[in-house]
Amino acid sequence: MAAAAVMNGNAPSADWPGRYYHVDQILEKPGPRTDPSFLAGSGVKEFLRDKCKILVIGAGGLGCEILANLALSGFKDIHVIDMDTIDISNLNRQFLFRPKDVGKPKAIVAAEFIMNRVPGVTVTPYYGKIQDKDDDYYMQFNLVICGLDSVEARRWINATLVNLVDPEKPESLKPLIDGGTEGFKGQARVILPTMTSCYECSLDMLNKPTAFPICTIANTPRLPEHCIEWASVLEWPRVRGEQKLDTDNPEHIQWLYQIASARAKEFKIEGVTWSLTQGVVKNIIPAIASTNAIIAASCCNEAFKIATSSAAYLNNYFMLIGTDGVYSYTFEHQQREDCPVCGGESLDISISREWTVDRLIEILIERQDIQVKKPSLSSGGKQIYFQAPPQLEEATRPNLEKKVSELIEDGGEITVTATTLPFNLSLRVKYT
Amino acid sequence: MSTTGESQDIEQATSAVTDAPDNKTRRYDRQLRLWAASGQSALESSRILVLSSSATATAILKNLVLPGIGHFTLLDSAIATAADAGNNFFLNAQESIGKPRAKEALPLLRELNDSVDGEAVLTDVKELLKTEEGRETIRSFSLVIAHNLDKDVLDELAGLLWADLTNPPLIAVRSAGFLAEFYTQFHEHCVSQPHTDGTPSLRITRPFPELLQWARELDFDNVDPTTHAHIPFVVILVRAVDEWRAKHDDRLPITPAEKNDFKAQVRAMKRKLDEENFDEAEAQAWRVWFEPAVPSEIAALFTLPPLEAPASSTKTGADLPPSPNPAFHALLRTLNTFVGSPGGPGCLPLSAALPDMRTDTESYVKLQNLYRDRARKEKEHFTELLTDIFPNVAQEINEEELDTFLKNSHQLRVLRGRKWGEWDKDKAAVVESLQISPRETGTHLALTALSTLLSQTPDGSSVTVDALRAEVHALVGKDVELPEEAELAIGELARSPTAELPNTAAFLGGMVAQEAIKMITRQYVPVNGYCVVDLIDSTTGVVGTP
Repeated sequence: MAAAAVMNGNAPSADWPGRYYHVDQILEKPGPRTDPSFLAGSGVKEFLRDKCKILVIGAGGLGCEILANLALSGFKDIHVIDMDTIDISNLNRQFLFRPKDVGKPKAIVAAEFIMNRVPGVTVTPYYGKIQDKDDDYYMQFNLVICGLDSVEARRWINATLVNLVDPEKPESLKPLIDGGTEGFKGQARVILPTMTSCYECSLDMLNKPTAFPICTIANTPRLPEHCIEWASVLEWPRVRGEQKLDTDNPEHIQWLYQIASARAKEFKIEGVTWSLTQGVVKNIIPAIASTNAIIAASCCNEAFKIATSSAAYLNNYFMLIGTDGVYSYTFEHQQREDCPVCGGESLDISISREWTVDRLIEILIERQDIQVKKPSLSSGGKQIYFQAPPQLEEATRPNLEKKVSELIEDGGEITVTATTLPFNLSLRVKYT
Repeated sequence: MSTTGESQDIEQATSAVTDAPDNKTRRYDRQLRLWAASGQSALESSRILVLSSSATATAILKNLVLPGIGHFTLLDSAIATAADAGNNFFLNAQESIGKPRAKEALPLLRELNDSVDGEAVLTDVKELLKTEEGRETIRSFSLVIAHNLDKDVLDELAGLLWADLTNPPLIAVRSAGFLAEFYTQFHEHCVSQPHTDGTPSLRITRPFPELLQWARELDFDNVDPTTHAHIPFVVILVRAVDEWRAKHDDRLPITPAEKNDFKAQVRAMKRKLDEENFDEAEAQAWRVWFEPAVPSEIAALFTLPPLEAPASSTKTGADLPPSPNPAFHALLRTLNTFVGSPGGPGCLPLSAALPDMRTDTESYVKLQNLYRDRARKEKEHFTELLTDIFPNVAQEINEEELDTFLKNSHQLRVLRGRKWGEWDKDKAAVVESLQISPRETGTHLALTALSTLLSQTPDGSSVTVDALRAEVHALVGKDVELPEEAELAIGELARSPTAELPNTAAFLGGMVAQEAIKMITRQYVPVNGYCVVDLIDSTTGVVGTP
């Protein structure tokens, strides 16, 4: 395997005559919708095949597809990051993996597979987190494609690439192409950091996750899901104490399933199953090969068009729904002027003079366009409330009961930070 | 509810045998959450014939082998070229050049899923079409998929498959460069599980006796405050409707003013401002003015004209007109009888599915049991009628199919298709479509023109903008002015007439596999018409819907 990789990495001669017969029809002449700046012929081929360096984030359902498409399209210097290992439930769609690979790192197995199948392509895997890498690392790429299932990771890379932009250096602007799927639905989008709507700008388009009120779970369960939440949210910490719930551990799921089943039986609620238990606690999103193929192809098609200028690229959002016929919607998502990442202005927030700091925090957690879990607040150099470390939390806790208006003047700014928030959010407070 | 009772339960529960899923269920977990065991079993019994082992064809198959179809046959006499080795992920690069393409692709597709059976047949479909044995082979599959098949051969194949109602559907895929389209040819496709968002009736305006009794007998004014704040919204609305009718000559609220009055009446039932169950009842009041006995889409299915069956079609027996889906039509006709039956509710059967609502466990479980019992009774009545009208169907149908049909009776779908190429003969319709959807229609016409030119010169040497434009004019009429979108499509196809781009192939691989899965599982709703893809604008659109 390693020998093959080395050979692949150093083998431009792997290009047999006629290899790019199909792609070259596009690269050798412009079409009616090709920008005049397109350099048909050897120039563009050389850039695509010898110079362009592309980063793929995620080697899962979308990532496997993206890697294969890029390799066949002629990208030869591909890097891939993924922190996961292969699970049996990946095999229905992550087509570079086989049962023998279960437990191995996705990035490494996927990279080896691509290099073996598509000669002359180098795929450099990194088995770890995107947050392990610094600005210099991201600066080396021409393009970034994301096939992620985590909102948090997407926010992080989005904010990182927006911050990377230096108006003096055009090459610091890295187009970010992002894909996502759920069942028969999916979306692909092109983000030109600072120039177009970014991931943060569209945060409010995400579906709000279903959250069950704690009193329903504790007192009036009606659905099997309520019983499962009871087992995982209330019973697990009560009975298992400090032990961390690992939703990938079958023994843990089994335990929750049995607790939830007992509760359901007590309340005469039907429908608690192993599969539902796992689905609820892991927040499983259904996924199929075909939808991933569509969205990954769309992402790679945009990457190809951007890298080669061979045709106009997506401006800037493609949404597909395949449940009832084929419905798709292509539109330009607008940049938000008050986007905390790319807007450059602070977010205005109107609150009552009577509101306490605690109330403000609750509201921030609720807001769909902010999506923060445990925010810490400060203003100027002044700490208002800090979630951690414990000493600081204790010291600032009395402020929770105070009115915001006692601490901040009208039009004053509050800085919000949180571990889940890859940037500092500035709020400008206005009292109603 | 005591602590001891609870811990005993936990002890009993945790000593139970594990219900953890087996390896197959784990492997398919993410898709079983969409189409469940019934969809999976349909996939596993399917046999799919794929004509060509091009990059697009193998991309489609990959997305069908992974979820676990039963069998596939790659029918392709082509020898892998240097170009194939460059754009097809399911070939062994240079090593495959000069070898039979299908045979090279086969092991690389099969290794995706051990439970799928596959074979490569190195024959040209033209040969199969020549003999009755060959034609019978083609007809024996559950679905036929063809990519960039020669125009005349495709026409002949489409004709063969159209000739009998029981023949498999055909998905015809065409692509060049950034442009593509696919079309599914079928006579009729019935869906009892469309997974659309239709909300079944809760029978608020047609309460069954047990529900009405609960709403009437509940002493709203004197129950304790906790109970009052947990009365299910369904019960509140049934009570409110009952009172409204008593005061309004047995009529429902119709005018906007009446609807507002009705909502005010619900609000007035509140004892305290913060009773969220009453807020919910008010928010759900639309159910009172939108609760047809039979939604119009379903009523339309009761009066569907019989299929225009090809002369050679086999009859399906009973007193039903010929159809590829006789059992579904038997159920549909029984459903119509059920609605009019004196022993029935006068509307579609009740679905036992109850949405979550603000109430306590006891009331919710009680309500759920009422709905379940009623649904069971109505199912019994339905089964009696079915046995009476279609004894054979009643005997053959399995319980799960019947339950699915009844549960989804408010959102059943019947699609009627058209023969491949039939739409293009209706020039007036095509010209009209060119105005309404210029991009999609223009692209469809340009692809048709391209396939005509390629059938003359497969290497694409005769494909020019002028030649394509002339062919398009031959299709729509010389005097028709082509919109700019059609010119853009023509220009793009002239640029890349024989290019099968890896990304276009992968995109189609996903789209066509989605459609194939919908056809095979009879879940979700397939597209009916030409689905046209433009990967420069990144759009899709459908034209030529019957």
